[in-house]
Amino acid sequence: MGYYIGVDGGGTFTDCAAMDETGRLYYAKAATTQEDFAVGMFAALAALAEECGTTVTDLVAGTERLSLGTTVGTNLLVERRGARTGLLATAGHGDSILMMRGTGRTAGLEPDLLFHPQATAKPVPLTPRALIAEIDERMDYKGDEIVPLDEEAVEAAVCRLVREAGVTAIAIAFLFSFKNPAHELRAMEIVRRVAPDVYVCCSHQVAPRLGEYERTVATVINSYVAPASAAYFGRAADRLRETGLRHPLLVMQVSGGVLPAAKAAEIPLTSLGSGPVGGLIGSLSLARRLGHTNIIATDMGGTSFEVGLIIGGEPLVGDENVIDQYRYRLPRLETTSIACGGGSLARLDPHSRSIRVGPESAGAEPGPVCYRRGGTEPTVTDADLVLGLLSADGFLGGRMPLDREAAVAAVAALGEQVGLGPDETAAGIVRINNTRAAELIRQQTVVRGYDPRDFLVYAYGGAGPLHAFAFAQELGVKGVVVPLGNGASTLSAYGCSTSDLVLNIEREQVLFAPFPVDELNSLVAELESRALASMSGMGRGAGEVEIERYGLMRYSGQWLHSLLVRLPPGELTAEALERAVDDFRSMYDTLYGSGAGLVSQGVELITTRIHAVVRLSRPDQAVEKASRKPLPRVGRLGTREIFWPDHMGRLESEVFDGRQLRHGNRVPGPAVIELPYTSIAVGVGQTLDCDVFGNFVLRLNRPGSSAATHMGAAATSVGASAGGSR
Amino acid sequence: MNAVTRDDALGTTDLPWDGIARGYAPPDVLSINSRLRLQTAEEPEVDPITYEVIRNSLQNINLENGHTIQKLSISPITMINRDFQCAILTEMGDVMFMGPYLMYLANTLGIMTKWILENRSESPGIDDGDVFLNTDPYVGSSHQQDTGLTSPVFWEGELFCWVANSVHYSDVGGPAPGSFCLSSTDIWEDPPLFPPMKLVERGRVRADMEQLYLRQSRVPSTVGMDLHAALAGLTVSRQRIIKLLERYGAQTVKAVMRKTLDASERAFVDKLHMIPDGRWAERIYTEAAVPGDRGIYVSRVNIVKEGDRLYVDNEGTSPQIGAINNTYAAFVGAVLAPLTLMLAYDLGGVCGGVSRRVEFRPVPGTITCADYPAPVSSAGVCNMPMVVATATGAVAKMLACADPPLRDKAIGIADVHAYGGWIFNGIDQRGRFFMAMHSGMAPGAVPASTSRDGIDTGGIYWVPGMEASNVEDNETSWPVLTLYRRQNRADAAGAGRYRSGVAAEEAWMLHGTDELDTQVYNNESFAKCQGLLGGNPGGRAFFRWKRNTDISARIAAGDIPQDFDEVEGEEVPLSWKGRPIRLERDSVWTLNLPNFAGYGDPLDRDPELVGRDVAQGVTTVGEALEVYGVTVGQEGLVDEKATAAGRAAIRKRRLKEGVADPAVMSPPDAWAAASTGVAGSSQAPVNGGRARVIINENLSLVRTAGETGFEAGLGPASRTRYVCACGQDLAPGETDFKKGCLVKESPVDAIGPGYTSFDMEMTEKMCFREFFCPRCGARLATEVARVGDEYLWDIELRL
Repeated sequence: MGYYIGVDGGGTFTDCAAMDETGRLYYAKAATTQEDFAVGMFAALAALAEECGTTVTDLVAGTERLSLGTTVGTNLLVERRGARTGLLATAGHGDSILMMRGTGRTAGLEPDLLFHPQATAKPVPLTPRALIAEIDERMDYKGDEIVPLDEEAVEAAVCRLVREAGVTAIAIAFLFSFKNPAHELRAMEIVRRVAPDVYVCCSHQVAPRLGEYERTVATVINSYVAPASAAYFGRAADRLRETGLRHPLLVMQVSGGVLPAAKAAEIPLTSLGSGPVGGLIGSLSLARRLGHTNIIATDMGGTSFEVGLIIGGEPLVGDENVIDQYRYRLPRLETTSIACGGGSLARLDPHSRSIRVGPESAGAEPGPVCYRRGGTEPTVTDADLVLGLLSADGFLGGRMPLDREAAVAAVAALGEQVGLGPDETAAGIVRINNTRAAELIRQQTVVRGYDPRDFLVYAYGGAGPLHAFAFAQELGVKGVVVPLGNGASTLSAYGCSTSDLVLNIEREQVLFAPFPVDELNSLVAELESRALASMSGMGRGAGEVEIERYGLMRYSGQWLHSLLVRLPPGELTAEALERAVDDFRSMYDTLYGSGAGLVSQGVELITTRIHAVVRLSRPDQAVEKASRKPLPRVGRLGTREIFWPDHMGRLESEVFDGRQLRHGNRVPGPAVIELPYTSIAVGVGQTLDCDVFGNFVLRLNRPGSSAATHMGAAATSVGASAGGSR
Repeated sequence: MNAVTRDDALGTTDLPWDGIARGYAPPDVLSINSRLRLQTAEEPEVDPITYEVIRNSLQNINLENGHTIQKLSISPITMINRDFQCAILTEMGDVMFMGPYLMYLANTLGIMTKWILENRSESPGIDDGDVFLNTDPYVGSSHQQDTGLTSPVFWEGELFCWVANSVHYSDVGGPAPGSFCLSSTDIWEDPPLFPPMKLVERGRVRADMEQLYLRQSRVPSTVGMDLHAALAGLTVSRQRIIKLLERYGAQTVKAVMRKTLDASERAFVDKLHMIPDGRWAERIYTEAAVPGDRGIYVSRVNIVKEGDRLYVDNEGTSPQIGAINNTYAAFVGAVLAPLTLMLAYDLGGVCGGVSRRVEFRPVPGTITCADYPAPVSSAGVCNMPMVVATATGAVAKMLACADPPLRDKAIGIADVHAYGGWIFNGIDQRGRFFMAMHSGMAPGAVPASTSRDGIDTGGIYWVPGMEASNVEDNETSWPVLTLYRRQNRADAAGAGRYRSGVAAEEAWMLHGTDELDTQVYNNESFAKCQGLLGGNPGGRAFFRWKRNTDISARIAAGDIPQDFDEVEGEEVPLSWKGRPIRLERDSVWTLNLPNFAGYGDPLDRDPELVGRDVAQGVTTVGEALEVYGVTVGQEGLVDEKATAAGRAAIRKRRLKEGVADPAVMSPPDAWAAASTGVAGSSQAPVNGGRARVIINENLSLVRTAGETGFEAGLGPASRTRYVCACGQDLAPGETDFKKGCLVKESPVDAIGPGYTSFDMEMTEKMCFREFFCPRCGARLATEVARVGDEYLWDIELRL
């Protein structure tokens, strides 16, 4: 049996998803083991094997492809457990990474904190001043050498850093190296000669973009996480090989693709923060199958709410990354996050006598009050439990009983302070949380010139399917898809398993419109041949590689803004490039209103990017037969009184075991579908269908809407009316 | 010199505060044409959940205004320096939300909008889809470059609210590129004033008005892009508010707006209750009203706190003169900035409730509240940071007297003049005219506070999110090469019990051009940033220039100079505010943004922290000993015994060098010993009043148990006394505690190496005063002052 497996070793749990040759899907979870991630991974694989009805050895030996998403790099960085990293910088510019452009105190923080200087501080330096060596060398903005590299100084600095200061990784970041990498390359040679065991990388390789601060950060972070990441990838690959894996382990990248572990270990920065990208790719993969083109992909977990967009069938690509208040530029599938999830704390604002929800979170520890791990302040999950959206004995398939009384007491205590009963307070908490989620989505769409009503929401993550009924309704989107039903909480793992090989190769070179045709053609040719060479190194022939070209374009002088414009294939002509400029102008006007850009203002292309993809084959997902069984007998667990926050009243609501629902079943709201890893709420007037792929499709309460026509799979109504309004 | 001092400047209280003769000060009740219908009705009850949902949306809508401006604008000063602000205002022009951008602009938007309500509601009328543009600082902006846009949001024919933004536009005309007209002596030498005019009429941009505005600029395309960015920001906000009104109804949203303002007012009042009644003051000196002027001028901010209100004035400020003036709106905005940051830090930018409790009573005809026709275009670099600094000093001292935890929020002065740095222009490496405002100094530093060290290159905290451009950005855009850009050392500048964060310096040369003109540079002849409650003042901001240097030869030899003093060449002495200079081939110049205010006596600094700074290379072993009295090895290991002895010796020296005010005799030791136990040590209110107010770790005001105090001929027996932590009675509570201190007056450039100056004539006009406890030698206060000026009586408490 051949399996296609994705593993997401992200948060509290290591998630697995597998597809077999027949296109059937399997999911499993195991607790993540911080001390050795491979232990948790194998535990999850063991659980997966059980689901598949086989042994770990047979599962792994029979695996055609195994892709791994991991937060190992992020953890190393946030917990400052990375390598002792030295930095070689241009003379006079070694402080750049310490000064952080003056934004180190505030980058990436919630706006509220910006008004509170005493609550902000800079992060602990990744590389302290003593480990930064300044080297005499200088290029100018054209890449012309102003001062040659002082090779003796490089050697002396490396000796000092390695032998006296004990660094195990070195980052080289010289000014304008992306224009002329000669000095960085030479310095790297010296490092390799003097200290062959030390990991070394250059800024022009890691993040070849204008802006020494961001480029230096990217390079230093890369070096900082490289030794441990390489060891981790290597250990995981070794153990899998020993267990019988016949193919190279693949590692998820922020580009949305995967790379072989050995390749990923060269520049581990591109794997950093790839967790949310897995879910987005999983959504994309399903969306293509279902014919959905505009998707708001939402992942709500315990502490955060992540939003990514798929527009016209393509995920949005951005390049701004902030981690621990350090900022760097690297192309990535864009996701935006706010602190909003099941663990978000509800608190009283004493001055307005109102309730605030988040951004503070109870996190996994102590967690919500109902977890009975010491939490005392009510959270969104507690409110869900009070309302009845969650049941005390159905959480995590019944393996984790929840303390409803404690949740009620905590919510009631908060409510008393504003004169609301426990139900109203709980409903309010959920409503506010949902508004915050909707607000983020609205920002992400409206600010880009899109109307949320043209989108479907994909809701996944532990807390997403339970709350989508409300925040999606609030936005007025076309409908909600809970991708893969029970697989919604492991969608990132599924996304890893469906990813293709992807390489982004780019070069920063500012060109003013009308663009010089020959220069651009030779630049594109050079980047493409680099991409092909790299793919060839991974055993992929030129015939397999699909190449797309993009230009990052902006109005002259617009340092903080650029739009990604697709460039045509083949030999670029003056006319084609003129069209690209027109495309840019019209995109700009679409986004920011007609006339936002000035015709008189010049347009420039700042970065040329090659996006190279090798499509990895996989079986088509199996299609289910329609169920003949009428609903009430299928997986009906009974009824529960649920207080619906949008209805402000308790309604007798149906409860179903989601595992029993099949294509063809339709569940009218109010109802809750319970699954081992998540629950789905169906609001009053909404209906839920199960499609042929096991996705749950929520139709929102919009009489006369055309939502149904946008749903991928048709569903037949066989449900019996349950409850209704009283 | 020909400065504009109206003959009758001071005391012409008969001039109206109308935005024409004098800065507009909105009356309590606005006079609005009755044709304009205002939406004022509100839902009496909004449940706490709906309230929070709408409040959250409004806050996000305002942030979107800012995001849009930041993304779409093209001048670095806007997109990187965050030199802009956006706001949602009530129908009456009260600022509800401001964004986390340049703080002092927020309230100018309110004042401008109120002026429009009063003066434009009849003609040309205020209609749906309009956008008004204003550059007139007398109406409501900080200087002409900070052009404000404000747009009414209508609902069912009634004016529901306003959305507004203010953006610094690179050049709005006037004789100087960049429009900072440092030599102006009246408004006609400044960029033109455009009082509010309709840039957009019922949704259509008026081409005539747009061109009228852009036509003044040297860089109309840049300003045009920025203007469109600002308009796009307003459009986004207005559309989102309309959606909110459709969803929840105007009366509900209005109720939320009012309730949010009320809540922010209550939050502010709660904090005021943690502060004893009293008066606090700060005094900042500046120099040169126009290039060549050798005068010294004073900015004062005085804050009186009485119950749940604050009263702010600028009494003691110099009469308006030369080009160093700002208007009423700018003064108010600048004072509200530190008030908001230190007292409304938890309100997410709802500053409207704060201004309800603050009454402004500035003296007109002064440099910080100038009357027409004083020029004000330079306010952005000359006055605004100075007024923010002056207000910060007063607010920080007020907060230092507050009950914990509010006391911990007091932060020292961040910047007096250095922000705004340097404006230059010329022909770039591609042969095109360019004009640049350098933001490389934006790394800033957070000064010391009453509870912790400041933050090294932690930004300018009253412009949250402000960024320095990358060296690579600069060099790609402008024909220059940066030889170095690095953090300062934690030397004497900004030293204290808690030290200031260190700021930064850089040095440049030309590259790809043979000349470049600078319009604005800062070369202070003396340090101006006052220390906080015994801390060292901030350092001296400087701009130094050498011409005909050996830089080409050195670069050719592979040597990149890392110390300006090592560069061989002819140093051209520059005054604090000189005329434009032309930098030619082989020029090298350096800019230093100094460290800011320190807090408390440096001798009280934890020696371990000094050791840490030495270990990290931020302080030298020599500086540790000289500034802090700490004996420490190269590795940061502190010699505790030597340190104790060293510090004792410094305190002894202070007692020897300090001089008692002749009018005051030292109190007898008997009283000093007794006073420590007086009325307990709790800061908490006792019987409706506080028993003790801790001002800093050494200085307290205590309530005495009866009339047993030492009088020393200072009038009737005092019920409160200033005491030092050592037990020393300093002075009666009704007087300036400084009068009970030993005072040492030294040259202002002798504080340490960070203060040395090139300009002895100016330096000699100033002095540095240290106020010591006459018993233990603790340093309780410091002042940079003009020689001969009275001590600044900056703390007066009423228990």
